[in-house]
Amino acid sequence: MSRIKAFFRHDNVGLLFALPAVVYMLVFVGYPIVHNIVLGFQDVDVMNFLHGQKHFIGLANYTTLLHDEVFIKSILNTFVFTISCLVFQFLIGFALALFFNLKFSIAKPVRGILMMPWMIPMTVTALMFKFMFSTKVGVVNNFLTGFGIISNNIEWLTDQKMAMVSVIIANIWIGIPFNMILISTGLTSIPGELYESASIDGANAVQQFFRITLPLMRSTIESILVLGFIYTFKVFDLVYVMTSGGPVNATQLMSTYSYKLSFDNFLYSKGSAVANVLLVILLLVGILYLKVTSGGEDIYE
Amino acid sequence: MNDVKVRPGRNAFRCAVAILIALVLLFPMLWMLNTSLKTEAEIFMNPPTLYPHTLNLKSYISQIETGDFNMFRSFFNSLIISVGAMLIAVVLAVPASYAIARYRFRGRKPILLGFLVTQMLPVSVLLTPMFIMFRNMHAYNTWLAPILADATIGIPFSILILKNYFASIPHELEEAAYIDGCTRFSAFIRILVPVAKPGVAVCAIFSLLYAWGDLAYGMTFILDQPKRPITAGIFNFMGQYGTKWSYLSAFAVVSMIPVAIIFVFMQKYIIAGMTSGAVKG
Repeated sequence: MSRIKAFFRHDNVGLLFALPAVVYMLVFVGYPIVHNIVLGFQDVDVMNFLHGQKHFIGLANYTTLLHDEVFIKSILNTFVFTISCLVFQFLIGFALALFFNLKFSIAKPVRGILMMPWMIPMTVTALMFKFMFSTKVGVVNNFLTGFGIISNNIEWLTDQKMAMVSVIIANIWIGIPFNMILISTGLTSIPGELYESASIDGANAVQQFFRITLPLMRSTIESILVLGFIYTFKVFDLVYVMTSGGPVNATQLMSTYSYKLSFDNFLYSKGSAVANVLLVILLLVGILYLKVTSGGEDIYE
Repeated sequence: MNDVKVRPGRNAFRCAVAILIALVLLFPMLWMLNTSLKTEAEIFMNPPTLYPHTLNLKSYISQIETGDFNMFRSFFNSLIISVGAMLIAVVLAVPASYAIARYRFRGRKPILLGFLVTQMLPVSVLLTPMFIMFRNMHAYNTWLAPILADATIGIPFSILILKNYFASIPHELEEAAYIDGCTRFSAFIRILVPVAKPGVAVCAIFSLLYAWGDLAYGMTFILDQPKRPITAGIFNFMGQYGTKWSYLSAFAVVSMIPVAIIFVFMQKYIIAGMTSGAVKG
């Protein structure tokens, strides 16, 4: 007893404060992750899901996935989706951050309002874009034909190529505020004197941008891109609501495919295996993120 | 950036550009609001009308009466689920983040790393095991299941945000409390938590919004439509009445109400949360 007391006397008393949260996360996140890894090696489907014998079948789920065209396609789709979103939301976000860092009277309130797309439920975003992209009533086609930019309506959500473009556009819309606000914060941390002395030396705005802004923003940019990659790579709601992975798996991502296998086809173990592959990719990128943010040291302070 | 005063002409020009950008970026939301107030016939007009020529509130009002997809009921469900998740997240995260900020206890680094990693997890990894777990604990098909699941998004986020708030509070404040006879626990409750209030507000808001926006947990762990959150309600409604855009848009507008309210009254907390490393669940 006295030894227990002695253990908690000094810094270790912190453990008592942290314990409830740690236990909660171990029960509702830690255990499910382990269980999901186990499920990936089992043969759980609708027959033996709740009752009945579950067999360990080794890597069988993963070897069938390797021969599953839809799975291979979902990996490719996830990368296409993520990288396209990342490039555009970053560039647009950067441009907007530069603009809203200029001095004018309504800069801050307007920049604040632009956070809205990031805050509303993704389901709603998906609904809005599904409506705007619908072939006949959609405002996008109405606008494009009205101004004579296209002559025939584009099949935004029913054409295989355009469906991917549509979900990418919707996700960029969500990602812009996130990029803009983080880049804005990075920009304000650059001391103004640097720009002053540069303009005294005769550097124009473009030179200042490439010689001062970009180099000093490097670590901010790196962490924004890695974080953005992680969030985009696991997007589920948006695509599931907009296209459910269709048409013909054209927008099937690893997250939506995993859901489809588990909860539409009731092949729980296969779905878990897909999720595990997704997890491994995210963890690898996560490690990269910790390396990028100065070896992960600053998070411990 | 380096000119201290902006000429009035330039200021007006920049303001105009800013408003234009806002109109373009917020167009989808404005369009949804616009659509929700139109009649079904007007929605199908081409070229589309820029504002409702005949104001139609039926999409909202009829929802109060109809049974299966009552959006106000699902609004209420969402409210219970997200407030529940928020309470769990805040109650657990506040002491934990204080501990991580103030004490160098054993296991601190792995615990902190664990919270960081859980923020990166895809829902897909947790869905099936949680589904089995909630069935076994008889939480399946009740509000409790998404509450417990949604809190797992709020907790790590809140801890990572709040630990910085607690770390920035000067040690002298605590020491003075100890001299006045406070125990560690009472000093924490009476002195530190009130000082960290803005941080707690950020965490509460984000935990609430994550839970409010969740679809995957709500639709997977609750089977009966009358108990489902509003996001799942919208998704089901789309499946059943896919082109009833007047009702769908009204549904969407109602689900944005809490976000808009939080936005109007607590915008500074949102910016604070996002800039200190917000993660969307």
